[in-house]
Amino acid sequence: MTTAVSLSAEAIADRVRDAQTRGARLRIAGAGTWLDAGRPVGSSEELSLAAHTGITEYTPGDLTLTARAGTTLREIRDAVSPHGQWLALDPFGSDEGTLGATIATASAGPLATRFGTPRDLALGLEFVSGRGATVRGGGRVVKNVAGFDLTRLLTGSWGTLGVITEATVRLHARPEADVTLAVSPSDDRIDVGGVRAALKRWPFVPLACEVVNDSLGRELGLGGEAVVFRLGGNSESVAEQRRAIAELAGGPAREVDPSVWRSLRAADDDATLVLRVSRAPAEVSAAWADATALTAPFASARVSASPARGIVRCATQAVGASIEQYASTLAGLRSRIVAERAPVHLWNAPPLARAADPLQSRIRDAFDPQRILNPGILGERAVS
Amino acid sequence: MTSSRGALAPASPPPAIDRSLADRLAAIVGDKRVLFRPSELLTYASDALPSYHKQPGLAVFPGTRDEVVAVVRELARSNVPFVPRGAGTGLSGGALADGAVLVGLNRLTRVIAVDPENLTATVEPGVVNAALSRAVAPHGLHYAPDPSSQAACTIGGNVAENAGGPHCLKYGVTTNHILAITALLPNGEIVSLGSASGETDGYDMVGCFVGSEGCFGIALDITVRLTRNPEAVRTILADFLSLDAAARAVTSIVATGIIPAALEMIDQATIRAVEASIYAAGYPTDAAAALLIEVDGADAGLERDVATIESICNSSGARTVRVARDEAERARLWQGRKKAFGAMGRISSHLVVQDAVVPRTKLPEVLDKVRRIGEDLRLRVANVFHAGDGNLHPNIAYDANDPDESARVQTAMHAIMRACVDAGGTITGEHGIGIDKLQYMDLIFSPDSLAAMCSLRDVFDPDRRSNPGKVVPMHSCREWHGARSARQDAAKGPPVA
Ligand SMILES: Cc1cc2nc3c(=O)[nH]c(=O)nc-3n(C[C@H](O)[C@H](O)[C@@H](O)COP(=O)(O)OP(=O)(O)OC[C@H]3O[C@@H](n4cnc5c(N)ncnc54)[C@H](O)[C@@H]3O)c2cc1C
Ligand SMILES: Cc1cc2nc3c(=O)[nH]c(=O)nc-3n(C[C@H](O)[C@H](O)[C@H](O)COP(=O)(O)OP(=O)(O)OC[C@H]3O[C@@H](n4cnc5c(N)ncnc54)[C@H](O)[C@@H]3O)c2cc1C
Repeated sequence: MTTAVSLSAEAIADRVRDAQTRGARLRIAGAGTWLDAGRPVGSSEELSLAAHTGITEYTPGDLTLTARAGTTLREIRDAVSPHGQWLALDPFGSDEGTLGATIATASAGPLATRFGTPRDLALGLEFVSGRGATVRGGGRVVKNVAGFDLTRLLTGSWGTLGVITEATVRLHARPEADVTLAVSPSDDRIDVGGVRAALKRWPFVPLACEVVNDSLGRELGLGGEAVVFRLGGNSESVAEQRRAIAELAGGPAREVDPSVWRSLRAADDDATLVLRVSRAPAEVSAAWADATALTAPFASARVSASPARGIVRCATQAVGASIEQYASTLAGLRSRIVAERAPVHLWNAPPLARAADPLQSRIRDAFDPQRILNPGILGERAVS
Repeated sequence: MTSSRGALAPASPPPAIDRSLADRLAAIVGDKRVLFRPSELLTYASDALPSYHKQPGLAVFPGTRDEVVAVVRELARSNVPFVPRGAGTGLSGGALADGAVLVGLNRLTRVIAVDPENLTATVEPGVVNAALSRAVAPHGLHYAPDPSSQAACTIGGNVAENAGGPHCLKYGVTTNHILAITALLPNGEIVSLGSASGETDGYDMVGCFVGSEGCFGIALDITVRLTRNPEAVRTILADFLSLDAAARAVTSIVATGIIPAALEMIDQATIRAVEASIYAAGYPTDAAAALLIEVDGADAGLERDVATIESICNSSGARTVRVARDEAERARLWQGRKKAFGAMGRISSHLVVQDAVVPRTKLPEVLDKVRRIGEDLRLRVANVFHAGDGNLHPNIAYDANDPDESARVQTAMHAIMRACVDAGGTITGEHGIGIDKLQYMDLIFSPDSLAAMCSLRDVFDPDRRSNPGKVVPMHSCREWHGARSARQDAAKGPPVA
């Protein structure tokens, strides 16, 4: 049974309470573009927020916006860009994803280098807990410490504590200049650690900086391995940033079409396995090496790194026997691995399989004791 | 297993805090570190908010992490409630221990590790905010959140309050700078939250603990993100003949896309108090308001931003706009701002500071309401605040021994709070709820929302022994507990000892 809820938060709460009474389990959905992410969900019914849309509050001068959870990032972009503003969230996928899902999954893309992740941009939430209670956390203003921080608790909880029904986010004014540059390595090996060292040395922070491997670089029309920078600020500042990048590259970097970011975000559409390999930022080279080792058997594997954050993403179409290969390489790595999407049985292989954290289970118990919402998606223990 | 518990306070009256408990704690920390005589405890009967006095039953000051753990385990064994305390600079009565054991953490001042490569440091909770920045200064780094109390307040207190400060406009508040916490739960269990590299799988446990005001347990060690010192800084003072014009300048500056490092407003009453004190900063005493604006970052492009800000101030009606010429002048301008409350406090015996947030565009309207509230109640309300965030700090100097004036101050505080909530704002931007703001929680949260907060607290502290009576008003937890008997009790963690 699928129902697109268009009525109210109250209607959503009714659905949850109804499920509670019947012992049903709900799979929450936004636009449904990324439902195969996370561990397998054992649900009998879908609760779609795709029709729960609309911006409910937007005063440009406040640089905040409140929207119902099913509102897409595109709708938000279209509403705020005439005012020279943006919601600085560019999760992998596309702007067709919903605000609720982006926050629920804490999805972040290249812009996180400068603006952080949803936890830094979400100011307040309304959600329906697994108990069917309508709860508000945080507020609609940029600063707020009233009560315990339910907003951050819900951000990245993958729908397991509550169905997000509305969110208030912080917006930013668009920078005067917004330029995308690509640098290709002069020799055949890209130095991710060197990029990170430069970022640390520079007195400015780019809007985004991603290192892409050969196959991803080709796909993006960059010819091969490359470092892609997105620079923002006033024109003088951007001119200086260009100069610093030219120094790093040993010559002027080429300006590329900004659509490269959209392509980069959409590249993993067909991937069956997306892993985030991370270390402390100073060890990003080691994380890159681990990601390279992981993807070595797969010719078309796409690897990209956010050097400032010490995070490397790798995506492949792992199938059949190749999965066994993955599992054995994965088990030997020292990096932290977070899976964004994986074939069912890989979730049970180390290091993806994980023991339930008792404190986290207690939090789940407090908000959704019957495990009604997205059961299993975080690998949490089931209750019978 | 269903335990019968009351509301935020323990159900049964706390066991007497007697000489024998003092002896058991003294066996852990030494005789000199346990205070139990009323005269000795007087110092700890309030924090920086003078309106409340609550005498702890006993105060204990462990000197090492092991001692903190041993103390808390002893208190768990004895089922005694306790209140963590840092420097006691809190402005919401959060560190008051009404008959409970006050656990002072101000002796835990070790910077355990600094990792300049990864821009992190791990510290004990009693490290003073400004001392941390001093400790990492040789690496060209600092700790960004800078409450005006930074010379005294502790990182543990900052974590508990999710403290802000002038530079949080650009750099974010405490929660944006904490990567990991080792927390000691009230039952004596030690848990690690978050990770030093920032990536975690599962719930945002650090985000959840930060701002919990001592109700989830004690932050034992804290891994913070460090920030590189900017290449260049420019500090601008602009003064206005109306508060309204200054407030409009704030909105216009933010709208340009320039994110100033700080954007503070100081009104005439505050300016006069500052200028009459030893912190005189050279603010024009005849101005209705001054804005203290700072931009920082890379050298390139900074002058352009300064010029843009100057021109916005001018077109918004600034009388004069000046840029600090050197570090000494900049320090002086900041000293006036940071010591403003101290200067105000000198006028009368007591000072109350309100802490509320309004949408930036509502600043002119709300400031006008605040002015009228003061006039109606014959009080002099002064304003010095984080204007870029819409975080108001109206403050009133008064004589607490004058019951009539004290009553009018209370009325004014309520009226101001209402005005802020009516404008779409919230009841605290950085000082927390403590006990002072419990009375306002119902203004912004429904019973279901408060109940959800209670249930989260139960996860960390099912017996409500850590900072009882704070943050969430009792009645909302009673409601929750009424429903509780019907559900299974899975929330209780393994008991220790
Ligand atoms: C092809 C593709 C690849 C992607 N890859 C990545 C990636 O690698 N890393 C990354 O960080 N992001 C990734 N995303 C993220 C994605 O862009 C965002 O999470 C979001 O935009 C998806 O929106 P949606 O509405 O389609 O979500 P859906 O597909 O509808 O839902 C995604 C998840 O969020 C839950 N959810 C949805 N709405 C709510 C709600 N209101 N309350 C609680 N839970 C809710 C769902 O149960 C589901 O688990 C990818 C997206 C796509 C389309
Ligand atoms: C003049 C002045 C200016 C101020 N300016 C600002 C400002 O600009 N921004 C701002 O945010 N605040 C400001 N404050 C308020 C105050 O300084 C902050 O709230 C600060 O974070 C409190 O730190 P503390 O160490 O003094 O904590 P305390 O007052 O001792 O305690 C505050 C709370 O934290 C808890 N706590 C303390 N340590 C721990 C720990 N290790 N683990 C768990 N809980 C703990 C206590 O139980 C209590 O609930 C100001 C105060 C003054 C007096």
